[in-house]
Amino acid sequence: MKEGRLSRRVLGQVVWRSFFLQASWNFERLQSLGMLYAIAPALRVLHQGEDLVAACRRHLEYFNTHPFMASPVLGTVLFLEEQSDDPDYAEITEFRRMVMAPYAAMGDALFWGGLRPVAAGVSLFFAARGSLWAPVIFLLFFNIPHLWLRISGLFRGYVQGLKVVELIQRRRLPDAAIRLKEGMIVLLGGLCAYMTFLTLRGEDVATGLGFLVVPLVLLGGRLIANGFSTLLLILTASALITWVIWIF
Amino acid sequence: MLADYLMASVVAVIAGLDRTAAFQFMLSRPIVAAPLTGLLLGSPLTGLQVGALIELLYLGRLPIGAAIPPDDTQVAVGASAIAVSTGGALGLAGFPFAILATLIALPLGKVGQLFDRAARVWNARLLAQAEADINAGRLETFEKLHLRGMVHFSLCSLGTYAVIVVLGSLLLHGVAPLLIEEVADAAGWLTLAFVVLGGAAILGTINVSRSMTLFAASFATAFLMLWLL
Repeated sequence: MKEGRLSRRVLGQVVWRSFFLQASWNFERLQSLGMLYAIAPALRVLHQGEDLVAACRRHLEYFNTHPFMASPVLGTVLFLEEQSDDPDYAEITEFRRMVMAPYAAMGDALFWGGLRPVAAGVSLFFAARGSLWAPVIFLLFFNIPHLWLRISGLFRGYVQGLKVVELIQRRRLPDAAIRLKEGMIVLLGGLCAYMTFLTLRGEDVATGLGFLVVPLVLLGGRLIANGFSTLLLILTASALITWVIWIF
Repeated sequence: MLADYLMASVVAVIAGLDRTAAFQFMLSRPIVAAPLTGLLLGSPLTGLQVGALIELLYLGRLPIGAAIPPDDTQVAVGASAIAVSTGGALGLAGFPFAILATLIALPLGKVGQLFDRAARVWNARLLAQAEADINAGRLETFEKLHLRGMVHFSLCSLGTYAVIVVLGSLLLHGVAPLLIEEVADAAGWLTLAFVVLGGAAILGTINVSRSMTLFAASFATAFLMLWLL
């Protein structure tokens, strides 16, 4: 690691505070106060007096990205705060504005749309067998990459500055997100098959009827894609099933 | 029963904070929060059953941007709490009662969106105060103001949890003795309904080409293997 003005201890404080990035999330400027809160210990080392007040104002600007992808942004912002020759620090504002939306899209697709459902899908296999390891599996599966990105992202951002943008581009995160989503659909197909098989066997019904689940899922998918509420569908389906069982 | 609900409220607050305001280790996901509640109340398996059903249904729900999804965290915690505690009081327990508690808690979770919105509106006042303090050169307050947002998120979690637990246990007391036998008979099919609609929710919202083909192929392969082996 290069010798900067920020010690590992201060950077560690920033990492810790980054876990509270969204504590004051609001509709006005979303994560702006959280951004300032996270980097405040470093700003206090880099600036004093009026400079510090100006730095705090600078970081109260609108900010919103995926909370995990914020770490490389925080690191790079600290690099720029330390290295910038521009008295107005316009480079920092420009950098924040430039990266927050693409990083938000990448993080949403990778973590919320890919990793989280995959981790949940794997753990649901354990839950279907009644194993209490299910939540543990889920937490491990999700949090190892999550914590790696959050911690290493901040340090890499601080060390490499703007080059971290190229590094993230080289990692091809959007491609990884698509692969994860495809994997998740395959996993979901397997999970549905497994649970259908268990249900039919438990109810003593001809197993071949299980293939009817595929058109039902596809029909449900079409309905939901056309704006039908999942909640309304499950309540209606449950009422119908219970009524039919009661009748027969 | 009150002691059970108070103990579960600790999970409601911790998981509620994990949902947005702090850490985001995913303790807030139903598959984690519900078994944790069950464990605290002495029936982790009930919690696991509730958590698995809710996780299946909301597997594909994404918290993107400023959109506020229904509070599946408090649904999971609240449904587990009423399943264990009200189940104990009524002398009813087991998987059918867990399904009934889940079905009652699910619509009540919609109220979480209102509480969540309120927390975020209150937080805007914190931002305004922090900005005024910074402009006045007072730099010692903005960090405390930021952390105060967690109090708002905690209160919103507790509010949602309280609505689910109070209305949910009242409804369960009224409905469970009438419906439990039918729900017990239908338990397997009701689980299958959660599986079908959980899968449908993902396929209906995911932006992946050939998702239907991939799903159908993997279902057919896995099902055939289970059937034939």
